[in-house]
Amino acid sequence: MDIRFADCGVRFGERVALQPLNLRLEGRRVGIIGLNGSGKTTFARLMIGLTSPSTGSVSVNGVEIKSPSDGRAAGTGFVFQTPQSQLIMPVVREDILFGLKARGIVSREADACCAATLARLGAENLAGRRVHELSGGEVQLAAMASVLALEPRLVVFDEPTSQLDLKNRRIVVSAIEALDEDAIIVTHDLELAESLPRVLLFHEGRLEADGSARDAIDRYRRLAA
Amino acid sequence: MMSTPITTGQGWLHRQRAGTKLAALAILGVILFLVHSLDVLVAALVIAAAILAHVSGGLTPALRLARPALISVLLFFAINLLVLPVPEAVAVFLRVTVLVLAAAIVTATTQLAEIVAVIDRLARPFERMGLMQRGDAGLAVGLCLRLIPDIRAQYSELVDAHRARGLKVRPWTIMAPLAIRVLMRADAIADAIDARGLRP
Repeated sequence: MDIRFADCGVRFGERVALQPLNLRLEGRRVGIIGLNGSGKTTFARLMIGLTSPSTGSVSVNGVEIKSPSDGRAAGTGFVFQTPQSQLIMPVVREDILFGLKARGIVSREADACCAATLARLGAENLAGRRVHELSGGEVQLAAMASVLALEPRLVVFDEPTSQLDLKNRRIVVSAIEALDEDAIIVTHDLELAESLPRVLLFHEGRLEADGSARDAIDRYRRLAA
Repeated sequence: MMSTPITTGQGWLHRQRAGTKLAALAILGVILFLVHSLDVLVAALVIAAAILAHVSGGLTPALRLARPALISVLLFFAINLLVLPVPEAVAVFLRVTVLVLAAAIVTATTQLAEIVAVIDRLARPFERMGLMQRGDAGLAVGLCLRLIPDIRAQYSELVDAHRARGLKVRPWTIMAPLAIRVLMRADAIADAIDARGLRP
């Protein structure tokens, strides 16, 4: 990944959601941690263009991101904090096919891509399932499949394990670890953060730490105390 | 509206094109409203129920598929009994029930994506007139089918929350929080549609 934030900040009216920051993200995995309301999700949404910078700019893989279409052009996929909202169609297979169709991929090619994506996540059994009947882990895997089917270069996960029990957490974490794509993972799950080579810590809209997981987590624990 | 179908069969009806089945459904609707004989309508009802039970793998799954629409039909029948002579109300009830079962047969034997594709094709003239974007009609149908169980689940959660706190469940104390939840969900879905590029 090659993500550059240049004096990039976000304000919502009078409230500063993210202080202007200059930052370059490289490598295959980056974690983002911080207390609730610290600016993590705002930071993540900048990379797909769901939030626009109030100052400065952000670019992903050489594309300046101003809107979701820029985010898609840069090859960014986003797995939402509430994956139930991400799935638009009532049946998992239909949802994945719908995303592919929107990209102009239809018929057998789309069917094959859908099957291959689910197989890659070990979730073939979800293909014909109704979305509203899926468990927390299953819906997370289905949301991942809907994003991965579009072959992104970078996937941003917003708290992918926050609603999961231990078993489902293990399944989802294994799926994330096995991804070939670059990944940025916003999380409260310190065990997951610990496994990442680089972790950013946000606090009150400011980048508080950027370095090894151990350092960032130690500082996070002190902030939360 | 039917419950969300899951189509896995390979029978004759499954192999027919979605457009053909939807056109047949429309023609059946016209024919049914030209028929006034109760005997013929009852026969049509029996045939439709038998076909639905066959394609759904039994009467119970068939009823599950058609139940949401059948509840509305029963309410409609009750109102008709108040305003129409009984034979006429029964005829209307039979016609609408046969249509509901026929629609359930179509949804039980057709992939949602195929139905969405037909709706998208039918909506093309409106796209050319600039009244909607490509794929909007299909997206709307998919979202409806997707969100009905969600809204039902949110309603149940609110009812449970009232009961857990010993509060009386009243429509006006449910509707406001339900509307807020639905709007919040709509906001999140709009973000997802943008992020996934589901609208050009």
